[in-house]
Amino acid sequence: MTSDITRIGPPPSPGAGPVPPQGYEAMDDHELLRLHVAGNPDTFGYLVKRHRDRMWAVAIRTLGEPEEAADALQEAFISAFRRADSFRGDAKVTTWLHRIVVNACLDRIRRRQVRAADPLPEDEDRAAELAGPAEDDPAEVRERRLDVLNALKQINVDQRSALVLVDMEGYSIEEAAAILGCAPGTVKSRCARGRAKLLPLLRHWQTTRGGSADDVPAKARQTAPTAAATSSGTGGTE
Amino acid sequence: MTDAGLPTSEHLEHLDTDTIADLIENLLPAPEAHRAREHVKACPDCQQTYDALLQLTEDLADEGRTDIPMPADVAEHLNAVIASESVLRASTVGVHSLVQLREEPHRHLPKLLLAAAAVVVVAGAGVVGVVLATADHSTDGAAGIGSPTSVPSITTEQVGPDAQRWLEGAKGPILHGEAAEIDCARQFATTQPDSELQLVQPATVDGKRSTVIGLPGGSAGDVKVFVVTGCSGSGGPATPFYDTTVTLRNR
Repeated sequence: MTSDITRIGPPPSPGAGPVPPQGYEAMDDHELLRLHVAGNPDTFGYLVKRHRDRMWAVAIRTLGEPEEAADALQEAFISAFRRADSFRGDAKVTTWLHRIVVNACLDRIRRRQVRAADPLPEDEDRAAELAGPAEDDPAEVRERRLDVLNALKQINVDQRSALVLVDMEGYSIEEAAAILGCAPGTVKSRCARGRAKLLPLLRHWQTTRGGSADDVPAKARQTAPTAAATSSGTGGTE
Repeated sequence: MTDAGLPTSEHLEHLDTDTIADLIENLLPAPEAHRAREHVKACPDCQQTYDALLQLTEDLADEGRTDIPMPADVAEHLNAVIASESVLRASTVGVHSLVQLREEPHRHLPKLLLAAAAVVVVAGAGVVGVVLATADHSTDGAAGIGSPTSVPSITTEQVGPDAQRWLEGAKGPILHGEAAEIDCARQFATTQPDSELQLVQPATVDGKRSTVIGLPGGSAGDVKVFVVTGCSGSGGPATPFYDTTVTLRNR
Protein backbone atom coordinates (compact mmCIF):
# COMPACT_ATOMS: atom_id res chain seq x y z
CA MET A 1 0.00 0.00 0.00
CA THR A 2 1.37 3.36 -0.93
CA SER A 3 1.37 6.38 1.28
CA ASP A 4 -1.42 8.23 -0.46
CA ILE A 5 -3.92 5.42 -0.43
CA THR A 6 -5.70 5.46 2.87
CA ARG A 7 -7.12 2.26 4.24
CA ILE A 8 -10.35 2.97 6.04
CA GLY A 9 -13.14 0.75 7.29
CA PRO A 10 -13.32 -2.92 8.00
CA PRO A 11 -11.17 -5.48 6.22
CA PRO A 12 -12.37 -6.75 2.87
CA SER A 13 -15.05 -9.40 2.81
CA PRO A 14 -13.89 -12.89 1.90
CA GLY A 15 -15.03 -12.40 -1.71
CA ALA A 16 -12.76 -9.42 -2.08
CA GLY A 17 -9.75 -11.70 -2.08
CA PRO A 18 -6.42 -11.52 -0.27
CA VAL A 19 -3.78 -8.93 -1.02
CA PRO A 20 -1.51 -10.52 -3.64
CA PRO A 21 2.17 -10.90 -2.75
CA GLN A 22 3.19 -8.46 -5.45
CA GLY A 23 0.62 -5.91 -4.26
CA TYR A 24 -2.36 -4.30 -5.90
CA GLU A 25 -0.19 -2.12 -8.08
CA ALA A 26 0.80 -5.16 -10.11
CA MET A 27 -2.83 -5.96 -10.96
CA ASP A 28 -4.42 -4.91 -14.21
CA ASP A 29 -7.38 -2.54 -14.31
CA HIS A 30 -9.97 -5.27 -14.82
CA GLU A 31 -8.80 -7.19 -11.77
CA LEU A 32 -8.73 -4.09 -9.57
CA LEU A 33 -12.27 -3.25 -10.63
CA ARG A 34 -13.46 -6.82 -10.12
CA LEU A 35 -12.09 -6.82 -6.58
CA HIS A 36 -13.72 -3.47 -5.91
CA VAL A 37 -17.10 -4.83 -6.99
CA ALA A 38 -16.51 -7.86 -4.75
CA GLY A 39 -16.09 -5.57 -1.77
CA ASN A 40 -12.40 -4.79 -1.55
CA PRO A 41 -12.12 -1.34 0.03
CA ASP A 42 -8.69 -0.54 -1.38
CA THR A 43 -8.56 -1.41 -5.05
CA PHE A 44 -10.64 1.45 -6.39
CA GLY A 45 -8.18 3.85 -4.79
CA TYR A 46 -5.39 2.21 -6.75
CA LEU A 47 -7.41 2.53 -9.93
CA VAL A 48 -7.92 6.23 -9.25
CA LYS A 49 -4.26 6.72 -8.49
CA ARG A 50 -3.26 4.95 -11.70
CA HIS A 51 -5.47 7.02 -14.00
CA ARG A 52 -6.06 10.30 -12.23
CA ASP A 53 -3.47 12.29 -14.19
CA ARG A 54 -4.90 11.13 -17.50
CA MET A 55 -8.44 11.88 -16.40
CA TRP A 56 -7.33 15.22 -15.00
CA ALA A 57 -5.89 16.08 -18.40
CA VAL A 58 -9.17 15.22 -20.09
CA ALA A 59 -11.21 17.22 -17.57
CA ILE A 60 -9.00 20.30 -17.58
CA ARG A 61 -8.80 20.32 -21.37
CA THR A 62 -12.54 19.87 -21.77
CA LEU A 63 -13.65 22.32 -19.09
CA GLY A 64 -10.83 24.81 -19.24
CA GLU A 65 -11.21 25.72 -15.59
CA PRO A 66 -9.30 23.90 -12.86
CA GLU A 67 -11.96 24.30 -10.20
CA GLU A 68 -14.62 22.97 -12.53
CA ALA A 69 -12.34 20.14 -13.60
CA ALA A 70 -11.73 19.13 -9.98
CA ASP A 71 -15.46 19.08 -9.25
CA ALA A 72 -16.25 17.17 -12.43
CA LEU A 73 -13.57 14.60 -11.70
CA GLN A 74 -14.87 14.10 -8.18
CA GLU A 75 -18.38 13.52 -9.50
CA ALA A 76 -17.02 11.18 -12.15
CA PHE A 77 -14.99 9.01 -9.80
CA ILE A 78 -17.83 8.75 -7.30
CA SER A 79 -20.11 7.72 -10.13
CA ALA A 80 -17.56 5.16 -11.30
CA PHE A 81 -17.17 3.85 -7.75
CA ARG A 82 -20.90 3.30 -7.40
CA ARG A 83 -21.56 2.02 -10.91
CA ALA A 84 -18.57 -0.28 -11.13
CA ASP A 85 -20.75 -3.38 -11.28
CA SER A 86 -22.28 -2.11 -14.53
CA PHE A 87 -18.88 -2.16 -16.23
CA ARG A 88 -18.82 -4.58 -19.14
CA GLY A 89 -15.65 -6.58 -19.00
CA ASP A 90 -15.16 -6.59 -22.77
CA ALA A 91 -14.27 -2.89 -22.82
CA LYS A 92 -11.13 -1.22 -21.53
CA VAL A 93 -11.46 0.23 -18.07
CA THR A 94 -9.88 3.46 -19.32
CA THR A 95 -12.50 3.81 -22.06
CA TRP A 96 -15.22 3.33 -19.46
CA LEU A 97 -13.58 5.92 -17.20
CA HIS A 98 -13.17 8.34 -20.10
CA ARG A 99 -16.85 8.07 -20.88
CA ILE A 100 -17.81 8.82 -17.29
CA VAL A 101 -15.36 11.71 -17.00
CA VAL A 102 -16.37 13.28 -20.31
CA ASN A 103 -20.04 12.96 -19.44
CA ALA A 104 -19.44 14.56 -16.05
CA CYS A 105 -17.65 17.43 -17.79
CA LEU A 106 -20.42 17.87 -20.35
CA ASP A 107 -23.04 17.76 -17.60
CA ARG A 108 -21.29 20.59 -15.84
CA ILE A 109 -21.10 22.58 -19.04
CA ARG A 110 -24.82 22.07 -19.66
CA ARG A 111 -25.63 23.15 -16.13
CA ARG A 112 -23.38 26.15 -16.58
CA GLN A 113 -25.20 27.05 -19.79
CA VAL A 114 -28.52 26.86 -17.97
CA ARG A 115 -27.18 29.28 -15.39
CA ALA A 116 -25.85 31.65 -18.01
CA ALA A 117 -25.86 34.46 -15.48
CA ASP A 118 -23.45 32.55 -13.30
CA PRO A 119 -20.04 33.23 -14.89
CA LEU A 120 -17.06 31.06 -14.21
CA PRO A 121 -14.27 32.46 -12.13
CA GLU A 122 -11.34 33.62 -14.20
CA ASP A 123 -8.08 33.22 -12.38
CA GLU A 124 -5.10 33.05 -14.65
CA ASP A 125 -2.64 32.46 -11.82
CA ARG A 126 -4.67 29.57 -10.45
CA ALA A 127 -5.02 28.13 -13.94
CA ALA A 128 -1.28 28.22 -14.41
CA GLU A 129 -0.74 26.62 -11.04
CA LEU A 130 -3.18 23.83 -11.73
CA ALA A 131 -1.75 23.09 -15.16
CA GLY A 132 0.73 21.00 -13.23
CA PRO A 133 3.32 21.33 -10.53
CA ALA A 134 6.11 23.55 -11.79
CA GLU A 135 8.79 21.23 -10.52
CA ASP A 136 7.44 18.28 -12.51
CA ASP A 137 7.95 19.56 -16.03
CA PRO A 138 10.37 21.79 -17.93
CA ALA A 139 9.21 25.36 -18.52
CA GLU A 140 8.63 24.84 -22.23
CA VAL A 141 6.38 21.86 -21.57
CA ARG A 142 4.27 23.88 -19.15
CA GLU A 143 4.18 26.83 -21.52
CA ARG A 144 3.02 24.65 -24.36
CA ARG A 145 0.44 23.00 -22.12
CA LEU A 146 -0.96 26.35 -21.08
CA ASP A 147 -1.04 27.46 -24.72
CA VAL A 148 -3.22 24.49 -25.54
CA LEU A 149 -5.46 24.96 -22.52
CA ASN A 150 -5.97 28.63 -23.32
CA ALA A 151 -6.60 27.95 -26.99
CA LEU A 152 -9.05 25.14 -26.23
CA LYS A 153 -10.99 27.48 -23.92
CA GLN A 154 -11.61 29.78 -26.84
CA ILE A 155 -13.41 27.30 -29.04
CA ASN A 156 -16.89 25.86 -28.89
CA VAL A 157 -17.22 23.24 -26.16
CA ASP A 158 -18.59 20.59 -28.53
CA GLN A 159 -15.63 21.08 -30.83
CA ARG A 160 -13.32 21.08 -27.84
CA SER A 161 -14.58 17.80 -26.40
CA ALA A 162 -14.39 16.13 -29.83
CA LEU A 163 -10.83 17.35 -30.37
CA VAL A 164 -9.73 16.27 -26.89
CA LEU A 165 -11.01 12.75 -27.48
CA VAL A 166 -9.96 12.27 -31.10
CA ASP A 167 -6.80 14.34 -31.58
CA MET A 168 -5.45 14.35 -28.03
CA GLU A 169 -6.68 11.10 -26.49
CA GLY A 170 -6.40 9.09 -29.68
CA TYR A 171 -9.92 7.71 -29.86
CA SER A 172 -11.34 6.78 -33.23
CA ILE A 173 -14.19 8.85 -34.61
CA GLU A 174 -16.59 5.99 -33.85
CA GLU A 175 -15.36 5.59 -30.27
CA ALA A 176 -15.58 9.32 -29.65
CA ALA A 177 -19.09 9.37 -31.12
CA ALA A 178 -20.11 6.61 -28.71
CA ILE A 179 -18.62 8.48 -25.75
CA LEU A 180 -20.19 11.78 -26.76
CA GLY A 181 -23.50 10.25 -27.77
CA CYS A 182 -23.64 11.70 -31.26
CA ALA A 183 -23.18 10.60 -34.88
CA PRO A 184 -19.67 9.95 -36.23
CA GLY A 185 -20.25 12.59 -38.90
CA THR A 186 -20.93 15.14 -36.20
CA VAL A 187 -17.66 14.26 -34.46
CA LYS A 188 -15.73 14.63 -37.73
CA SER A 189 -17.33 17.98 -38.39
CA ARG A 190 -16.65 19.22 -34.88
CA CYS A 191 -13.02 18.13 -35.15
CA ALA A 192 -12.54 19.82 -38.52
CA ARG A 193 -14.08 23.10 -37.42
CA GLY A 194 -12.29 22.96 -34.09
CA ARG A 195 -8.92 22.56 -35.82
CA ALA A 196 -9.71 25.46 -38.10
CA LYS A 197 -10.36 27.66 -35.08
CA LEU A 198 -7.34 26.42 -33.15
CA LEU A 199 -4.91 26.94 -36.02
CA PRO A 200 -4.53 30.73 -35.69
CA LEU A 201 -4.52 30.44 -31.90
CA LEU A 202 -1.57 28.06 -31.95
CA ARG A 203 0.23 29.36 -35.02
CA HIS A 204 3.32 30.22 -32.98
CA TRP A 205 3.90 26.47 -32.66
CA GLN A 206 4.76 26.57 -36.32
CA THR A 207 7.23 29.35 -35.56
CA THR A 208 9.03 27.32 -32.95
CA ARG A 209 9.40 24.59 -35.51
CA GLY A 210 11.52 26.84 -37.75
CA GLY A 211 8.92 28.67 -39.80
CA SER A 212 7.36 32.01 -39.08
CA ALA A 213 4.03 33.21 -37.85
CA ASP A 214 3.24 34.17 -41.40
CA ASP A 215 3.37 30.53 -42.40
CA VAL A 216 -0.34 30.46 -41.81
CA PRO A 217 -1.54 32.83 -44.49
CA ALA A 218 -3.44 35.81 -43.24
CA LYS A 219 -5.88 35.47 -46.08
CA ALA A 220 -6.66 31.93 -45.07
CA ARG A 221 -7.44 33.09 -41.57
CA GLN A 222 -9.46 36.08 -42.59
CA THR A 223 -11.42 35.13 -45.69
CA ALA A 224 -15.17 35.03 -45.40
CA PRO A 225 -16.70 31.57 -45.49
CA THR A 226 -17.16 30.28 -48.98
CA ALA A 227 -20.18 28.45 -50.25
CA ALA A 228 -18.26 25.24 -49.70
CA ALA A 229 -17.76 25.97 -46.05
CA THR A 230 -21.45 26.45 -45.47
CA SER A 231 -22.69 23.47 -47.40
CA SER A 232 -20.87 20.55 -45.88
CA GLY A 233 -22.40 17.39 -47.22
CA THR A 234 -21.85 15.14 -44.21
CA GLY A 235 -24.27 16.78 -41.88
CA GLY A 236 -23.93 17.77 -38.31
CA THR A 237 -21.67 20.68 -39.13
CA GLU A 238 -21.25 22.92 -36.15
CA MET B 1 -20.25 25.24 -53.31
CA THR B 2 -21.48 27.20 -56.30
CA ASP B 3 -19.49 28.27 -59.28
CA ALA B 4 -20.09 31.90 -58.44
CA GLY B 5 -18.64 31.48 -54.96
CA LEU B 6 -16.02 28.94 -55.91
CA PRO B 7 -12.56 30.08 -54.95
CA THR B 8 -10.06 28.69 -57.40
CA SER B 9 -6.45 29.28 -58.18
CA GLU B 10 -7.61 31.16 -61.28
CA HIS B 11 -9.66 33.54 -59.14
CA LEU B 12 -6.72 33.94 -56.73
CA GLU B 13 -9.28 33.82 -53.95
CA HIS B 14 -8.15 31.62 -51.10
CA LEU B 15 -10.14 28.88 -49.46
CA ASP B 16 -11.07 29.64 -45.90
CA THR B 17 -9.61 27.48 -43.17
CA ASP B 18 -12.95 25.76 -42.44
CA THR B 19 -13.15 24.53 -46.01
CA ILE B 20 -9.61 23.20 -45.95
CA ALA B 21 -10.26 21.50 -42.59
CA ASP B 22 -13.42 19.95 -44.05
CA LEU B 23 -11.44 18.81 -47.07
CA ILE B 24 -8.92 17.05 -44.84
CA GLU B 25 -11.71 15.36 -42.91
CA ASN B 26 -13.48 14.26 -46.12
CA LEU B 27 -16.55 16.26 -45.23
CA LEU B 28 -17.02 18.00 -48.56
CA PRO B 29 -19.30 16.54 -51.23
CA ALA B 30 -17.28 14.94 -54.03
CA PRO B 31 -17.45 17.72 -56.65
CA GLU B 32 -16.55 20.41 -54.13
CA ALA B 33 -13.83 18.27 -52.66
CA HIS B 34 -12.33 17.81 -56.12
CA ARG B 35 -12.32 21.53 -56.85
CA ALA B 36 -10.95 22.38 -53.40
CA ARG B 37 -8.20 19.81 -53.79
CA GLU B 38 -7.22 21.20 -57.16
CA HIS B 39 -7.14 24.68 -55.69
CA VAL B 40 -4.91 23.65 -52.83
CA LYS B 41 -2.48 22.03 -55.23
CA ALA B 42 -2.24 25.23 -57.23
CA CYS B 43 -2.23 27.74 -54.37
CA PRO B 44 0.87 27.88 -52.14
CA ASP B 45 -0.92 29.80 -49.38
CA CYS B 46 -3.76 27.29 -49.15
CA GLN B 47 -1.27 24.45 -49.37
CA GLN B 48 0.48 25.97 -46.36
CA THR B 49 -2.78 26.11 -44.45
CA TYR B 50 -3.50 22.53 -45.45
CA ASP B 51 -0.08 21.42 -44.18
CA ALA B 52 -0.44 23.50 -41.04
CA LEU B 53 -3.75 21.83 -40.20
CA LEU B 54 -2.20 18.40 -40.65
CA GLN B 55 0.71 19.45 -38.47
CA LEU B 56 -1.69 20.80 -35.84
CA THR B 57 -3.33 17.39 -35.60
CA GLU B 58 0.07 15.81 -34.99
CA ASP B 59 0.98 18.48 -32.44
CA LEU B 60 -2.25 17.97 -30.55
CA ALA B 61 -1.61 14.23 -30.51
CA ASP B 62 1.90 14.85 -29.13
CA GLU B 63 0.49 17.13 -26.47
CA GLY B 64 -2.26 14.64 -25.69
CA ARG B 65 0.29 11.91 -25.02
CA THR B 66 1.57 13.82 -22.01
CA ASP B 67 -0.57 13.62 -18.92
CA ILE B 68 -1.15 16.70 -16.83
CA PRO B 69 -0.19 15.93 -13.23
CA MET B 70 -3.15 16.38 -10.95
CA PRO B 71 -2.36 19.10 -8.40
CA ALA B 72 -1.54 17.69 -4.99
CA ASP B 73 -4.45 19.36 -3.23
CA VAL B 74 -6.93 18.07 -5.78
CA ALA B 75 -5.47 14.56 -5.53
CA GLU B 76 -5.60 14.65 -1.75
CA HIS B 77 -9.20 15.74 -1.75
CA LEU B 78 -10.09 13.06 -4.28
CA ASN B 79 -8.43 10.41 -2.09
CA ALA B 80 -10.53 11.60 0.84
CA VAL B 81 -13.70 11.41 -1.20
CA ILE B 82 -12.95 7.89 -2.41
CA ALA B 83 -12.04 6.83 1.13
CA SER B 84 -15.37 8.22 2.31
CA GLU B 85 -17.16 6.25 -0.37
CA SER B 86 -15.43 3.10 0.90
CA VAL B 87 -16.60 3.85 4.41
CA LEU B 88 -20.11 4.45 3.19
CA ARG B 89 -20.17 1.15 1.38
CA ALA B 90 -18.56 -0.82 4.20
CA SER B 91 -21.04 0.61 6.69
CA THR B 92 -23.98 -0.91 4.90
CA VAL B 93 -25.53 -3.88 6.57
CA GLY B 94 -23.22 -6.81 6.17
CA VAL B 95 -22.81 -5.95 2.52
CA HIS B 96 -19.50 -5.64 0.78
CA SER B 97 -20.57 -6.24 -2.76
CA LEU B 98 -22.00 -3.65 -5.11
CA VAL B 99 -24.03 -6.38 -6.76
CA GLN B 100 -25.68 -7.24 -3.44
CA LEU B 101 -26.24 -3.59 -2.73
CA ARG B 102 -27.90 -3.07 -6.08
CA GLU B 103 -30.12 -6.08 -5.62
CA GLU B 104 -31.24 -5.09 -2.14
CA PRO B 105 -31.44 -1.30 -2.14
CA HIS B 106 -34.54 -1.15 0.08
CA ARG B 107 -32.66 -2.91 2.81
CA HIS B 108 -29.73 -0.53 2.82
CA LEU B 109 -31.19 2.82 1.84
CA PRO B 110 -31.75 4.27 5.33
CA LYS B 111 -28.21 3.40 6.35
CA LEU B 112 -26.85 4.75 3.12
CA LEU B 113 -28.55 8.06 3.72
CA LEU B 114 -27.04 8.30 7.18
CA ALA B 115 -23.63 7.35 5.92
CA ALA B 116 -23.94 9.78 3.03
CA ALA B 117 -24.37 12.59 5.54
CA ALA B 118 -21.10 11.57 7.13
CA VAL B 119 -19.42 11.45 3.74
CA VAL B 120 -20.53 14.98 2.95
CA VAL B 121 -18.92 16.17 6.16
CA VAL B 122 -15.74 14.26 5.47
CA ALA B 123 -15.47 15.31 1.84
CA GLY B 124 -16.14 18.90 2.74
CA ALA B 125 -13.37 18.89 5.27
CA GLY B 126 -11.02 17.17 2.88
CA VAL B 127 -9.63 14.97 5.58
CA VAL B 128 -8.32 11.48 5.07
CA GLY B 129 -8.88 9.96 8.48
CA VAL B 130 -12.56 9.25 8.78
CA VAL B 131 -14.84 8.43 11.64
CA LEU B 132 -18.24 7.46 10.46
CA ALA B 133 -21.18 8.13 12.75
CA THR B 134 -23.60 5.29 12.25
CA ALA B 135 -27.16 5.06 13.42
CA ASP B 136 -27.19 3.48 16.80
CA HIS B 137 -30.21 2.01 18.48
CA SER B 138 -28.48 1.13 21.68
CA THR B 139 -29.37 2.78 24.93
CA ASP B 140 -25.91 3.91 25.89
CA GLY B 141 -24.82 5.25 22.54
CA ALA B 142 -21.90 2.93 21.94
CA ALA B 143 -21.29 2.41 18.26
CA GLY B 144 -18.88 0.41 16.20
CA ILE B 145 -17.41 1.29 12.84
CA GLY B 146 -18.43 -1.26 10.30
CA SER B 147 -20.82 -3.08 12.59
CA PRO B 148 -24.33 -3.50 11.25
CA THR B 149 -27.15 -1.59 12.86
CA SER B 150 -29.93 -3.87 11.66
CA VAL B 151 -30.06 -7.64 11.38
CA PRO B 152 -27.47 -9.26 9.10
CA SER B 153 -27.93 -12.82 7.89
CA ILE B 154 -24.87 -14.92 8.59
CA THR B 155 -23.90 -18.50 9.25
CA THR B 156 -22.33 -19.87 12.41
CA GLU B 157 -19.02 -20.07 10.52
CA GLN B 158 -19.18 -16.33 9.95
CA VAL B 159 -19.95 -15.46 13.56
CA GLY B 160 -16.34 -15.42 14.73
CA PRO B 161 -14.81 -13.51 11.78
CA ASP B 162 -17.69 -11.02 11.64
CA ALA B 163 -17.65 -10.39 15.39
CA GLN B 164 -13.90 -9.89 15.23
CA ARG B 165 -14.24 -7.44 12.36
CA TRP B 166 -16.99 -5.48 14.08
CA LEU B 167 -15.11 -5.25 17.36
CA GLU B 168 -11.77 -4.39 15.78
CA GLY B 169 -13.44 -1.54 13.94
CA ALA B 170 -15.00 -0.12 17.09
CA LYS B 171 -13.54 2.09 19.76
CA GLY B 172 -15.67 0.54 22.49
CA PRO B 173 -18.49 -1.89 23.16
CA ILE B 174 -21.06 -2.40 20.44
CA LEU B 175 -24.55 -2.56 21.81
CA HIS B 176 -27.10 -2.81 19.04
CA GLY B 177 -30.74 -3.79 19.14
CA GLU B 178 -33.81 -2.79 21.08
CA ALA B 179 -33.48 -2.07 24.78
CA ALA B 180 -35.26 -5.32 25.69
CA GLU B 181 -32.82 -7.34 23.60
CA ILE B 182 -29.82 -5.64 25.21
CA ASP B 183 -31.32 -6.20 28.68
CA CYS B 184 -31.77 -9.86 27.80
CA ALA B 185 -28.11 -10.02 26.80
CA ARG B 186 -27.16 -8.41 30.12
CA GLN B 187 -29.14 -11.07 31.96
CA PHE B 188 -27.33 -13.75 30.00
CA ALA B 189 -23.98 -12.09 30.75
CA THR B 190 -24.54 -12.41 34.49
CA THR B 191 -24.36 -16.17 34.08
CA GLN B 192 -20.81 -15.92 32.70
CA PRO B 193 -17.49 -15.37 34.53
CA ASP B 194 -17.09 -11.81 33.20
CA SER B 195 -20.37 -10.01 32.54
CA GLU B 196 -19.07 -6.81 30.92
CA LEU B 197 -20.85 -6.70 27.57
CA GLN B 198 -18.53 -6.14 24.59
CA LEU B 199 -21.01 -6.91 21.88
CA VAL B 200 -24.74 -7.20 21.40
CA GLN B 201 -25.70 -7.64 17.79
CA PRO B 202 -29.06 -8.81 16.49
CA ALA B 203 -28.52 -11.28 13.63
CA THR B 204 -30.12 -14.07 11.73
CA VAL B 205 -27.72 -16.98 12.22
CA ASP B 206 -28.29 -20.08 10.13
CA GLY B 207 -31.81 -18.81 9.52
CA LYS B 208 -32.67 -18.29 13.19
CA ARG B 209 -33.32 -14.86 14.63
CA SER B 210 -30.55 -14.66 17.18
CA THR B 211 -28.46 -12.31 19.24
CA VAL B 212 -24.68 -12.32 19.03
CA ILE B 213 -23.23 -11.53 22.46
CA GLY B 214 -19.58 -10.82 23.15
CA LEU B 215 -18.06 -11.00 26.63
CA PRO B 216 -14.45 -10.74 27.83
CA GLY B 217 -12.54 -13.98 27.28
CA GLY B 218 -9.90 -15.62 29.43
CA SER B 219 -6.93 -13.66 28.02
CA ALA B 220 -6.29 -10.05 27.13
CA GLY B 221 -7.84 -9.27 23.77
CA ASP B 222 -9.98 -12.38 23.79
CA VAL B 223 -13.71 -12.07 23.39
CA LYS B 224 -16.01 -14.98 24.02
CA VAL B 225 -18.80 -14.81 21.47
CA PHE B 226 -22.15 -16.49 22.06
CA VAL B 227 -25.06 -16.84 19.74
CA VAL B 228 -28.33 -17.05 21.62
CA THR B 229 -31.99 -17.24 20.78
CA GLY B 230 -34.82 -15.92 22.90
CA CYS B 231 -33.66 -12.33 23.34
CA SER B 232 -35.60 -10.87 20.45
CA GLY B 233 -39.30 -10.25 20.87
CA SER B 234 -39.99 -12.10 24.08
CA GLY B 235 -37.03 -10.59 25.94
CA GLY B 236 -35.63 -13.84 27.24
CA PRO B 237 -34.51 -16.08 28.55
CA ALA B 238 -31.44 -16.41 26.33
CA THR B 239 -30.62 -19.86 25.04
CA PRO B 240 -27.10 -20.21 23.60
CA PHE B 241 -26.64 -22.54 20.64
CA TYR B 242 -23.16 -21.60 19.44
CA ASP B 243 -20.06 -20.04 20.90
CA THR B 244 -16.53 -19.24 19.85
CA THR B 245 -13.61 -17.13 21.01
CA VAL B 246 -11.93 -14.46 18.95
CA THR B 247 -8.73 -12.57 19.66
CA LEU B 248 -8.74 -8.91 18.78
CA ARG B 249 -5.53 -7.77 17.16
CA ASN B 250 -5.85 -4.17 18.25
CA ARG B 251 -6.65 -4.61 21.94
